[in-house]
Amino acid sequence: MAKIVNKKSREANIPTGSMSDIAFLLLLFFMVSTVFVQEKKFWVERDRWPIAESIERIPRNHTSTIYVMRDETILIDDVPTRIESAEDVFVSSTLILKKTEDPDLIVCFRTDKDTKYGVMSDVMRQLQDANTLVVAFETQQRQN
Amino acid sequence: MKIGRKRKGKAEIPTSSMSDIAFLLIIFFMATTKFDVKEGIKLVLPQATEKQEGETKTLTLTEKEMTRLQITADGQIVVNKEAPRNIESGVLDALIQQKVKVNPDMIFKVITDREAKYSEMVRVVDRLKAAKIEKISLSTN
Repeated sequence: MAKIVNKKSREANIPTGSMSDIAFLLLLFFMVSTVFVQEKKFWVERDRWPIAESIERIPRNHTSTIYVMRDETILIDDVPTRIESAEDVFVSSTLILKKTEDPDLIVCFRTDKDTKYGVMSDVMRQLQDANTLVVAFETQQRQN
Repeated sequence: MKIGRKRKGKAEIPTSSMSDIAFLLIIFFMATTKFDVKEGIKLVLPQATEKQEGETKTLTLTEKEMTRLQITADGQIVVNKEAPRNIESGVLDALIQQKVKVNPDMIFKVITDREAKYSEMVRVVDRLKAAKIEKISLSTN
């Protein structure tokens, strides 16, 4: 009769020797890819933005922010300006420079919800003059 | 007197907890990293008319092809040639759907009064975007 030999089961081991290498690689990735965005001042607070439902996500790397405040002050790169007449071309000249640096430029508006549309219309006309045609109106997400 | 030579122990840095430290740091970075994206309504403006001189064509569009949504200074909406009225978002949605049913390629022209609130324009554009309307014309008068 054949003798049944009890096989000794091998102990299952997960090799953990390279675990710290993997951990450090991941750590380096997060450290390198993390960008601390610092804005000098939030000229129009988030709760003053209009509320919308069908919003899109816009990647930050090709954007330039224009703040339009309730008193019709416009801020580009934290420089305040106003459009009093058609001769005030500060907005379009600034955007022409920005468009030269980044042809995929998207202009994001952070406008106070109570701002009169007229000033927005003037800014958008200057955007057209600067051939900066892709715009985004930053909004708050509607909470259901 | 006999001076005994002390045996020097091998200098070692304990590395067994290194992976624990690394994982703790990873968790910290994963928890604090925020992929900063902006959120809003994206639109593409038409080119300035001066730049298209010579190429511009004047098209006359009928009500079957284009719907005018005119926002007055007090936030009322004039649909085509109808009387101005306060239109709630739900009613506006139904109206847009009704227009799209008539013509799926309907162009919506949003004309906002200079004195109207910016939020009113955003509300109308938002409803159009929610209805997946692609042909939105924004007046910059």
